[in-house]
Amino acid sequence: MYIIGGIALGAILLFLILFKLMWRVAEPNEALIISGLRHNHATDDIEDSLGFKIITGKGTLLIPGVQTVRRLSLDLREAELAIDCVTHQGIPLGIRGVVIYKVGDDFASIANAARRFLDQQAQMDLRVHNVFAGHLRAIVGNMTVEEMIRDREKLTQLTRESSGTEMEKLGLIVDSLQVQEIEDPTGYIENLGRPHAAIVQSQARIAQAAADREATEREQEADALKAEARRASQVKQAGYQAEIDQAAAQAKQAGPLSDARSRQEVVVQETKVAELEAEREEQRLQATIRKPADAQAYQQTTLAKAERDARISGAEAKKAETELEAGANAQRVKVTAGAEAERVRLAAGAEADHVKLEAEARAQSTRAIGQAEAAATEAKGLAEGEAVRAKGMAAAEAIKARADALAENQDAVIGQQLAEQWPAIVEAAAKPFGDVDQMILLNGAQGLSDVLAQALSQGVTGLQMARNLLSGANGFGVGSNGSGPNGRADSPGNGQANGRHPETPAVEKGADSS
Amino acid sequence: MADHRLVGKTGRVTGRVGPGRIGEVVIPVRGGTEAFHAYANDKDEEIVTGTRVLVIEHLPPRTVVVTPL
Repeated sequence: MYIIGGIALGAILLFLILFKLMWRVAEPNEALIISGLRHNHATDDIEDSLGFKIITGKGTLLIPGVQTVRRLSLDLREAELAIDCVTHQGIPLGIRGVVIYKVGDDFASIANAARRFLDQQAQMDLRVHNVFAGHLRAIVGNMTVEEMIRDREKLTQLTRESSGTEMEKLGLIVDSLQVQEIEDPTGYIENLGRPHAAIVQSQARIAQAAADREATEREQEADALKAEARRASQVKQAGYQAEIDQAAAQAKQAGPLSDARSRQEVVVQETKVAELEAEREEQRLQATIRKPADAQAYQQTTLAKAERDARISGAEAKKAETELEAGANAQRVKVTAGAEAERVRLAAGAEADHVKLEAEARAQSTRAIGQAEAAATEAKGLAEGEAVRAKGMAAAEAIKARADALAENQDAVIGQQLAEQWPAIVEAAAKPFGDVDQMILLNGAQGLSDVLAQALSQGVTGLQMARNLLSGANGFGVGSNGSGPNGRADSPGNGQANGRHPETPAVEKGADSS
Repeated sequence: MADHRLVGKTGRVTGRVGPGRIGEVVIPVRGGTEAFHAYANDKDEEIVTGTRVLVIEHLPPRTVVVTPL
């Protein structure tokens, strides 16, 4: 029983194991490729081509050892692309993109793919990459940069046109081609955006500046208002502080002020007292010192005036007396001088008489001379004594008067004497010509007159000499004047006159004295 | 069933169909939708994106000929 049961169980288990080994299920994302046994066309779901069977989405029973089964993944695949290419405008770009593809879901695509990639599913990405690199170059070469960025439809359109049929051959479909990144070594894209960026930036700056300006204006206004408020507040504070200070100062000064006031009154009263005292002192001084001093001064002045008057009177009287006395003295001196002069003259005359007498009588002469000398000495001594006694002006006047008188008298006397002696002089002058026997005058009449004129001039010269002698003799010359003419008549002066004649070459003399 | 048959089904244009270019249509098939390359039945006709089209012919593996409904 158990054995039967065991065998049955074993048979069931064996059947299950066999079934498990023979049954294959296609997952939704894969296709089963079964080959090995000729298959007849059973259902629509199973298609065969080239003798292999494709199963998708269900299980199937296969005969182990006869049939083999392979799985082809229908999952989405992607291939990364990184290529350098050139756009329609010739701008070099580096493009990194990704292409997303899968094996097509229809049996034709699965069959195509199975025949190409069944053992190389890992390398499918590499294959696709190689195929798509060329296609992407072609796609980019047909587009501009702007289209590539903006025109997505054109990108897919071109992708489809250039690669769609090619991928169909491989049994693949391209779900999407995405350009992930564009390297732009020339900066084209950056420059594309730059104008707009600049505009936007300038607008941003303008807006910012305007906002900043407005904010600053508001701030400044607010600051101004704040400053104004602060100023008003400070002004008020200062005003109040000033009032407080003033009140405080007044309060502080009240004590000293009243002190000063009271002191001022004291000083005023003291000043009045001092003034009164000074007045009293002045009065006292007036009474005790000034009045007596005035009286004394008046007394002295009066006395001095009286004395001065007396002195003036005395001096005037003395002056008159002196004048009178001087006049009297002068008169007396004059008289004395006149008398003296008279006496001198008389004495001189007497002496002359004495001299004359001496010449006549030698015996008597000595005595006479002695007498005359005695008399002269006496007279001279008297005259000198008188002159000394007269002194100063009296003597001078006497001398002056005598000199005047003598000057007057001299010319008169000399002139008179010459007039008296003139014939004798002329004769004496003509005397040399008397001794001449024969006179030859080389010059004729003129020569004679010259000789005569010369002789006369010699006579005149003698006359001049006589005058000089007389004038030099002064007072005593009067006495000698009387004997002058005689002495001159027989003096050797004639011989002197003769002696000059030989010096004149015009005269021939027979008997010359020299 | 015949869900995998394309002819007679309607789809919608996702890539403009026009002369000289390959368009794309999405067609519901096999319980999902698949994208197929599309040509217009009239060669000079241009079918813009979003237009509903009728599949007239299937050119395996992934190409259909459509005409706007």
